[in-house]
Amino acid sequence: MSTAEKTENTVAEKAANKNEVVVEMKNVRKSFGTKDVLKDISLTLKRGETLVILGRSGQGKSVAIKCIVGMLTQDEGTVQVLGEEVSDMDDKELKELRTKVGFLFQSGALYDSMTVRENLEFPLTRVLKIHDQSELDQRVDEVLDAVGLKEAVDKMPSELSGGMRKRVGLARTLIVKPEIMLYDEPTTGLDPITSREISDLILQMQKKYKTSSIIITHDMECAEIIADRVIVLNDGLFVAEGTFKELEKSDKEFVRSFFK
Amino acid sequence: MAEQAIPAYKRWLEETGEQVNFFTSFFRNVFTGGFEWSEFVRQCYEIGYKSFTLVGITSFIMGVVLTLQSRPTLVKFGASSMLPLMVCVSIVREIGPVITAIICAGKISSGIGAELGSMKVTEQIDAMDVSGANPMQYLVVTRILATTLMIPLLTLMGDVLGLFGGFLAVSLADHTSWTLYFAKCVNSIGFSDLLPAFVKTIFFGFAVGFVGCYKGYNSNSGTESVGRAANSAVVSASLWIFFLDVVAVQVTQLLFY
Repeated sequence: MSTAEKTENTVAEKAANKNEVVVEMKNVRKSFGTKDVLKDISLTLKRGETLVILGRSGQGKSVAIKCIVGMLTQDEGTVQVLGEEVSDMDDKELKELRTKVGFLFQSGALYDSMTVRENLEFPLTRVLKIHDQSELDQRVDEVLDAVGLKEAVDKMPSELSGGMRKRVGLARTLIVKPEIMLYDEPTTGLDPITSREISDLILQMQKKYKTSSIIITHDMECAEIIADRVIVLNDGLFVAEGTFKELEKSDKEFVRSFFK
Repeated sequence: MAEQAIPAYKRWLEETGEQVNFFTSFFRNVFTGGFEWSEFVRQCYEIGYKSFTLVGITSFIMGVVLTLQSRPTLVKFGASSMLPLMVCVSIVREIGPVITAIICAGKISSGIGAELGSMKVTEQIDAMDVSGANPMQYLVVTRILATTLMIPLLTLMGDVLGLFGGFLAVSLADHTSWTLYFAKCVNSIGFSDLLPAFVKTIFFGFAVGFVGCYKGYNSNSGTESVGRAANSAVVSASLWIFFLDVVAVQVTQLLFY
């Protein structure tokens, strides 16, 4: 059985267990110098769930999801992903975890010296070690078809618009079929129409690939389309949690201010 | 004054520690995991082939200038027949390796620093890392090994063109045949000239690649840091080349003279 088939089977098996907690952060603190960015945050993400984190800029939203994927290590508290403590992992375990957790950067972070095809093949050849050209082509065609960019396969990132870059970035993250997706402001910098398209696309991909997701955004329309649950982060603490509709009617002025 | 000196001292220690970490991480990645052959070949092309013209022209001109500048003095002492020897020894032992390495520090080290710095700023390196791929292996190992291989080869090519430049300058003043000039050159240098000069270019090549990669890979966020990475890569690589040259001269003296 190939690595790709194994990954697909594992995802399908685990998709059945809807109550399984895939990400759990407990009492996490993180500071940079004298600035406490995360003061005491706890959250859980269940399998198949989509959690949106709202908050003003510089409140530590990106820091929180970077702790989940091991790009940053918390000063205190625990961060467990798929039942394993991230800060205890060695390089090999961290590498393995990262094949199961996809991270979409705000800018898309496409490799600008490579074509779209090479960008998409990069994680397949380096991480999943797939070298069969027909399998690579099939996977590339599948994700590009899913994000509606089949015609851009041989283009360079510099030839793509902002929305197209985000789509290719999403395709590159989804091509390895991760169990968990982390989105860092996926619609920032896009016009309202493209933002809505990207939000719809994320929702479609969630359904197609059955991933659990944490999305950081300021875009309330995006949050309304995608979120199963919303958490509001302020001054390093989670100050509110609930569905989009519940928080819209929150008795806290600060929380309601996001929805105006 | 003392308060300012302490943070500067701490910063220097931190920087040194980071460089040592980067150095050990490079060697760990050279010997573990899959080697990125296609990227290595691409880097050899980018670093070697694309620097060929610049290094070639500069070395040729250096040969011409060195000969034209030295000739009047040697003629004054009645030693113009020693001109090929002097040009050859100067170019092979010192001018060829150092000039080539300095040109490469300006062109290649700054290029690598800017390229990796811009990849860092646009989160491409983070994206590679977070996808489970190994950016050290793909970006750093290939570039450092490519400079370590290509700069000695560029130096050899530069030496030959420098000697040819010297011949052209000699021919302008005296009617010297290429065979005579070449024979005098070959007879004037030995193993103790060629080997140390070649070995030090390997270290120069490593320094050029290492400094460029380190500065780019560790640049902070912000476009300003890309320029700073490129600039400090040239400055640091040039200083390293001169420092390594001093060490190489001392070691050569100890081993061969």
